[in-house]
This record gives sequence, C-alpha cells and structure tokens, in this order.
Amino acid sequence: MNDRLKALYKTQILAHAKNPFNEGVLEDYTHKLQAYNPVCGDQFDLYLKFEGDVIQNTSFRGYGCAISKASTSVLIKQLLGKSKSEAKVLVELFLKLINPESSESPESLTSDEEFLAFASAREFPERLTCANLAWEKLKEVL
Amino acid sequence: MQSLKSEFPIFETARKEGRPLIFLDNASTTQKPQCVINAVTGFYAGYYANVGRGLYWPATAASFNYDQAREKVRAFIGASSKKEVIFTSGTTDAVNKVVNSFLLPQLEKGDEVLVSEMEHHSNFVPWQQACQSKGAKLKVIPLDAGLNLDLSKFAAMLTDKVKILAITAISNTLGVKNDLKSIINLAHQHNIKVFVDAAQLPLSEKINVQNMDCDFLAFSGHKVFGPTGIGILYGKQALLEKMSPLAYGGGMVQQVSIDKTMMADLPAKHEAGTPNIAGTIGLAAAIDFINSVGVEEIGRHGAELRKYAVKRLSEIEGLTLFAKDAKSTAILSFTMEGIHPHDIAAFLAEKGIAVRAGHHCTYPLMQKLDIAGTVRVSFNIYNSEEEVDLLKNTLVEIRSFFL
Repeated sequence: MNDRLKALYKTQILAHAKNPFNEGVLEDYTHKLQAYNPVCGDQFDLYLKFEGDVIQNTSFRGYGCAISKASTSVLIKQLLGKSKSEAKVLVELFLKLINPESSESPESLTSDEEFLAFASAREFPERLTCANLAWEKLKEVL
Repeated sequence: MQSLKSEFPIFETARKEGRPLIFLDNASTTQKPQCVINAVTGFYAGYYANVGRGLYWPATAASFNYDQAREKVRAFIGASSKKEVIFTSGTTDAVNKVVNSFLLPQLEKGDEVLVSEMEHHSNFVPWQQACQSKGAKLKVIPLDAGLNLDLSKFAAMLTDKVKILAITAISNTLGVKNDLKSIINLAHQHNIKVFVDAAQLPLSEKINVQNMDCDFLAFSGHKVFGPTGIGILYGKQALLEKMSPLAYGGGMVQQVSIDKTMMADLPAKHEAGTPNIAGTIGLAAAIDFINSVGVEEIGRHGAELRKYAVKRLSEIEGLTLFAKDAKSTAILSFTMEGIHPHDIAAFLAEKGIAVRAGHHCTYPLMQKLDIAGTVRVSFNIYNSEEEVDLLKNTLVEIRSFFL
C-alpha cells in the first residue's frame, strides 16, 4: 500500500471517519446547512445551535468518503463553544492548511494534530473538495 | 488480445511513479490506438480544409474522407442508407436533438414518455425536462430483483398515450444488457417509437439497426476508440425526413431568401454549421480498427474478463457485486462494506489502476439500490486477467487498511 496515501488517511482521519464526533440530528438547532457535492454525491447536514454569538452545540449527519466525513467530524468538534469570529478564524486556518497553493507550511500554521492530518490533502488536489466540503459550506453563516 | 495493447501509445508513455497504467474505466471512455491518432493528425497536417463546397484540393480530399466516414458508420450499424446517419457531438447531443426535433413538436399534456430505471442521466434528464415543459408524464420502467428490466411491468405500461420509449442497450453502471429486439417489438405493437442509447453497445456486439428495428439509435465516438466530440444519431429515413432540422444554420439549406428557406436533403438538413471533420475522420479510423479486430472478438474478451472479475472479487469478504450474472458485457459494479467507493478508487489509483467511483450519472438507479455509489470496473481489449488479479489483491489490501 502506498505510503503517501496512507499518510493522508492516517490515524486521525480514519478514527474520525469510523467514529465521527456528534453524529446525528440536533433537535434544537438554530442553523441547519446542507453540504453537498453534486460531482460525487457526498452529502452532510450540519446542525448548529447558536446562543447569542456562541455555538453551544453541534452535530452532523450524512454520507461521504472517509476524508469528507472525517473533515466534517473535525469541523463539528472544533466549532463547539466557539464564537462566530473564532469560528471564522478556524475555518480560514483549515482552508489555508489544505490549500495546495498555500505558501505557508502546515506546521507553521498550527500544531493541532487533528488539523495537521488533513495537510496531506495538499498533495491530492482531486480530493480537495472532499476535505473542504463542510468547511466551505459553513462560511455561508459566518 | 495482449498484442493489441502495443497499438495504444498511452500504455507505453503513461506511468504513475514507474507503474504502468491499468485502465479499467472503459465504460467512461476508451484509449486511442495509434491509427486513430494518425488519422486525426494526418488530416490536420496533410489535407485540412472545410468540407462541402470547396472546389480546391485539399477541400475535395477532406470532403471525400468526411463522406467516407459516414459510409463507414452506415456499414458499422447496418443502416440501409447514409442518409440515416447524422453526425452529432456525442450520445447526449443526439438525445437532446431527438427530444427537441421529434418529441417536443408532438408532445401534449397527458402524453407519456417511457424510460427505464437504469438510464444514464443523458437518457433521462432531457426526456424528463421535455415532459415537464408540456405537462406530459415521464414513466420509469422498474428493474426486477435481478436488476434486469421488469418486462411484465413494462408491457403493462404500453398504452396509446406513450409517444416514445427511450432505453439503454447496456446499463453503464450494472453492465446489464437489455433484450432490445423484444422490447422494440412490444413497443411497436403499440405504435410507440423507440430511441436506443447505444453508448455501451458497439464494443459488445455487432449492431444492426434494421434487424433491431429501432427508430433512433445513438452512440459516441470516444467510447469506441475514436475522438471526443463526435457521435452519431441513426434515425429511420422517414422519421428524419419528417422532422424539422435539429439545428439551423449554414450547410443545411438549399435556398435562402429574405422570406423563406428551403432545407437541404438528408443528412445535411440535420447538420448545421461546420462539422467536427477531424472527429469523423478519427471515428472512421476507429471503426476500421474495430473491424480489423472484430466486434465479436472484442465483446467476448470483455465479457470473459467480467466473468473472471466476478470470480476473483467474490473471494473478497464484505464485497458486494451487482448484477453479477449479467451476460456478454464488460461492465461490473461493486461496493465494499464500510469503505466509501471514492476511498477505494483513490487507493486503486495509487497502484495505477483507473476505475470509476460514484453514481455513474445514474442517480435514479442509486436511489433504487439505496446506495451512495459503487466502484465500477469496465474492460476492453487491452486489459488482462493479470490486471484483474492485481485489482483483487489491491482490494484485499485496502480492506485490511480500513478495517
């Protein structure tokens, strides 16, 4: 098996894909977003519960490849307790991290292992839309 | 068959980190033999000019070859006249043209159009949209448990409200082949015209439109070793003559005045504008190539590889094959428990194995199967049992990595 691809799927991604964070429907959500990729059919519903400016609770439900599912799971986890402006910073950081055209090295951007796992996506431009699916969608409410 | 692989330069030149290309995505498109590449470059380099009215060399040579290409297509599909062969940009273009020129002018509220549950979006969406624009009803022939067309339900759907049946010859996702002759015969008993999506058919069996008795049939050049952007629409002469032009413009007229235009005869009437000349010349070379190998030979090789793949992939735990008993086609779909098709395709790609993963432009079928997608392998003359073995071994590795 190829090491390059294995690196992309390494522990963090497989762990999140197999045991996603807060998978399910959030009944008392304030925002529901649908992240959908018509090219491959990946589809996730994102549920957010804002209290004032702060994201108090999150969940998601849907299906997609391991990368899109794990990246959605990480997003849902990282958003918990964040304010709108904190969430915005987080999303920009993640998108920069996976962007193959980014000039900054992944390690200079973050030391968060959950985030760094996705940095290998830079080598697989065809999988960029898997890694950023939910994150790009979230930008709409921030 | 393996000796033929050397005719396809991509297998000599394309390498993924030293690994040769194993191309198992032939239902999507096919690789090009040197003779097709030579025909296209030979035209551009050797006798390029527009077709039709040029009185000089190389226009006469271009026109001659363009005309020859039509004759080769005619013979290839067993049509009785060259007038019945219309060049299009591909199968999708052909479907849209039949929708716009044949169906829409006669479609009324309450009319029905029949398609099947296994159709490619190309042979589904244009009919659906046409029906919606006129208040007509799109009816979908269901599949039975074995994923074959449910012929008894189909028979019950044949009424005098149905204006056309649009049906694929071979499911691009499942590799199921439809019994077109009996389907068409049944439809004709109710005076229903039949459009055949033959995109996957030409390398499976010898096409004979007269024997099949279809009213329309279409396929694309790029799926039969030819260039992209060229395809054909076959139509029975009487129908094509009755239909208004598929498009208007230059090259399809006899006389034009301020007040009116007299359209040209078939086939020019349906081919407005400068055609894809290089595409037709490439398609003609592809047909020569197919004939030199033999359609039956190509079809048999593909079907044998599918059969071998069914046997080898069945050995993998947690792998589900779809329509595994389907006969005489080269397309096979499968899923693996707990692993998304795109993840499988990405790992196969690292071994140089090109497959397709996803819905294969057949969302209605995915809904019926209640899955998000499949991994699809599809074989051609340059594929071998060794490649199927490598596919199998890699799938086993993928399974152990993910589980």
